[in-house]
Amino acid sequence: MIEISGLAKRFAVENPKKLSEQEKKDPRLKGRFFNSVRDVSFSCGKGEVLGLLGPNGAGKTTTLRILSTALKPDSGSVSIEGEDVLANPLIARKKIGFLSSSTGLYGRLSGRENIAYFGELHGIDKKVIAERIDEMADLLDMHSFLDRRAENFSSGMKQKTSIARAVIHEPALVVLDEPTTGLDIMATGTVMEFIQRLKNKGTPVIFSTHHLDEVQLLCDRVTVINQGKTVFNDTLSNFGALSDGQMHQSFLKTLSMDTGDADNVVNL
Amino acid sequence: MWLIFKKEFKELLRDKKTIIFMIGLPLLFFPLIFGAVIFFMSNAADKAENEILKYAIVGEAFAPEMAAQFSAQPDKFERVDIDNSIDYKALIKSETVDFVLVVPEGFNSEVLTSGQHTLNLYLNDAGLNRVVGRVSEIVDVYIDEFQSTAFAQLGLNEDQQAALLAPIVLEKQNVADDREVWGERIGGMLPYIIFILCLQGAMAPAADLGAGEKERGTLETLLISPMDRYKLVLGKFFTISCAGLITALITVSSMAMWGIVLSQGMAIEFVVEIMSMIGIIDFVLIFLMLIPVVAIFAAVLLSLSIYARSFKEAQSYMGSLIMVVIFPVIIALMPGVELKGGWVWVPLTNVALAMKELFKGTMDYFALFGIFTSTAVIAGALIAFCVHWFNKEKVLFR
Repeated sequence: MIEISGLAKRFAVENPKKLSEQEKKDPRLKGRFFNSVRDVSFSCGKGEVLGLLGPNGAGKTTTLRILSTALKPDSGSVSIEGEDVLANPLIARKKIGFLSSSTGLYGRLSGRENIAYFGELHGIDKKVIAERIDEMADLLDMHSFLDRRAENFSSGMKQKTSIARAVIHEPALVVLDEPTTGLDIMATGTVMEFIQRLKNKGTPVIFSTHHLDEVQLLCDRVTVINQGKTVFNDTLSNFGALSDGQMHQSFLKTLSMDTGDADNVVNL
Repeated sequence: MWLIFKKEFKELLRDKKTIIFMIGLPLLFFPLIFGAVIFFMSNAADKAENEILKYAIVGEAFAPEMAAQFSAQPDKFERVDIDNSIDYKALIKSETVDFVLVVPEGFNSEVLTSGQHTLNLYLNDAGLNRVVGRVSEIVDVYIDEFQSTAFAQLGLNEDQQAALLAPIVLEKQNVADDREVWGERIGGMLPYIIFILCLQGAMAPAADLGAGEKERGTLETLLISPMDRYKLVLGKFFTISCAGLITALITVSSMAMWGIVLSQGMAIEFVVEIMSMIGIIDFVLIFLMLIPVVAIFAAVLLSLSIYARSFKEAQSYMGSLIMVVIFPVIIALMPGVELKGGWVWVPLTNVALAMKELFKGTMDYFALFGIFTSTAVIAGALIAFCVHWFNKEKVLFR
């Protein structure tokens, strides 16, 4: 069970003059600070897949980075299986597997070494790591390239290796930040299968995306963030019900919901 | 921490670029350059010594014997007949002749009556040449001859002759031993070379370990691994330090090795002599002094690297760092700057000076403690800053 409530995070704006006109109009800009995330709350139960939606710059990546402990929020709380993530980031990190589309690999290490390195960082025994790598190589069909240097991998091979790397420590929660952005159809398929497999195993998954078909296919719950605030947080069926099962319309409808700002300009 | 060090080092060793800079360049390239320079220099010197010089003598009639000496050596000199009224400068410029020797009227051995003779030697002395030396070989014979003729006429004995030629001799009695003399010359350059090499060797891996991780998108994953941040920093820090030290060591030893190989015969004895004068302990101390210096470099490089958004940005920051490092070392090279007073407290300069003193064998070993401690403290502070820097979101997610 993952619970996130009242998250807020602001960033100092180094040079307010450099901001574009559009950025200056954003209600989240307060003086020298940009309140990227203002009030985000959602929860995800065991075996559930949660889709995080929102326009570009809504605060999705910031939220997921807070969740993965890369960033510290200014306020709010995050708990995984009762463990306070903010108070014990090191313990929480062992429970989280994180992957984004921009995550890279160490090019001069082989696929196997890349995965093993993160396993060792998690303090897992070398023997166990070797077993798990074999297991995952079977599952993701990685045997042909596992011992080659990662710099020559295709995007599909890279993504498979990244997936294996993200779950080598068998996390209690998997967080994916736009995992399919920039990938070809085959690699996207690999990611989708991977999420489905986690779901079958009962591991909760939280992922952000711009593809509503992915949401429809995999998600149990949907959370929409707009301008740093949660505007929708409910089940997939209720999300679809907003406009008779038309996902696209439902999404637009949630964006027009009140974020508490007078001039709610949405830029898609 | 060692896990990170091990992995970073493995990755480093697999990087062709780093290997070339760290090992290939100092081991093969530098000696090759030195060898080529020495080869071309000795070639040019040989040529200047052995080429046949085209010459003209004006006033040959006044010194027929000397003129005969020149023409008696056709393998060294080639006579060109010129018109006396022509400007010598133009002749030399057009390479019709290499030199023109003008013998004055009344040139004879009776110097006591005629007074001093002046021979004018026209030549283009801008480039490398041995004209004066080779002409002197012939003229010197006459100088000796004229001298002895004059001395014989005056009836002076050998002591009187020597006293007349040089009434007072100022003889230098150097109390500094060879080690101090050569230590002052070589010891000043040594830290300069070593510092730059350490920095150079540490730069490529530093850029890769900080900005490189950001650029490849591996940093975020590393940051959210359950490894204390300071361990991450230290693992990276040790990798960079090691790379710097290894580069410096390889370069210095390859220079020494190739120096011995290239300079055969006499020069070997000289090198061996210099090396044997400096004790093992001094070498070890020089190396020990280097460790906190490399630590300072590594900490600064890593901080710059992690701040940079990209590899390119990191490299431009580091480029300017070389200037910052060169300055305090140049100060140590300047004459008059010694390991005394305020200079003991100037970071980098004090280490450079101490290395020179160690090389010279005139080190005050107690000062070493102070220098080592202060440098280590600075290094420690910089590492602490680096750890702090690695905890800042503003730096990591720029």
